[in-house]
Amino acid sequence: MGKGGHYSGGLSMRSFKEAFCLVAIAVVCGGIAYFIHPRAPSFGIDKLERQLEEVQGMAEVFWVDARADEDFERAHLDGAISLNIEHWEEQLVDFLDRWPPDATTIVYCSSLACMRSHEIVERLREELGIEEVYVLKGGWESLLEAGIVEEGGS
Amino acid sequence: MKALSRIAYIVLGVTFAWAGVVKLSDPEAFLSSILTYQIFGSSVAVVAALVVPYLELCVGFSLATGALRGGGRWLAGGLTLVFLLLLFQGAIRGLNVDCGCFGSNAKSETTGYAWPIARDLLMLAGLAIGIVGERVANKREEQ
Repeated sequence: MGKGGHYSGGLSMRSFKEAFCLVAIAVVCGGIAYFIHPRAPSFGIDKLERQLEEVQGMAEVFWVDARADEDFERAHLDGAISLNIEHWEEQLVDFLDRWPPDATTIVYCSSLACMRSHEIVERLREELGIEEVYVLKGGWESLLEAGIVEEGGS
Repeated sequence: MKALSRIAYIVLGVTFAWAGVVKLSDPEAFLSSILTYQIFGSSVAVVAALVVPYLELCVGFSLATGALRGGGRWLAGGLTLVFLLLLFQGAIRGLNVDCGCFGSNAKSETTGYAWPIARDLLMLAGLAIGIVGERVANKREEQ
């Protein structure tokens, strides 16, 4: 064990306490960020997700592509419309024109890790009050893996 | 040796702090990055997305200034090892760690493991220089 600010060899009690202090500060700051940060992620994101197999068993599905415009133009699922966070206002008009209220709306973006589709689903639920709207878990990647779409076209 | 140790700590501290600051602005983007490793459940990933940037900032501040450095050293080493393990498992499983969700959003290939792994190994080397340098300097002072 060192003296003063000296190096303290192994994982001494002092080092442990200092590490605990740093972790505690980070946890408190993270907790505050959860409540006040405008882009803080929310818990329970998996409740918004549906597996491809579940979606394939649904009676009527309305597909929404939340990827960027250039990706949509390059390839998209047949019948899907584009609705992304960059052009929410403009594309929402088209969405409302074509949205069938009896269908389940499924939103996809690029992959399992892509959060754009979650944001679109949350906005459709909060701003339009649509309840039957979910994220396709795995997004475009899961459609590719299932052979439903191809990289260059749907 | 003391000067070398100080420089190593400052460089490492600034690197950690910068890594934290970059992530602080968009926790959702960081969550997306965490999820690409396909190892954590969504709740754990959300907690990590909220806490890890502040932890990096605290560790960086600790290393650079010397405040609570005993704990900062261990956390720096622990965090870097966790990052390395995540990268290695991603590379072995062939995961696409760059989903591009906030960029072009195109599906990209599994690339870019070499530089992050090299960077983390450099950080571990920097930490070792800091610790060894400090230890040698302290021994000299005691003699």
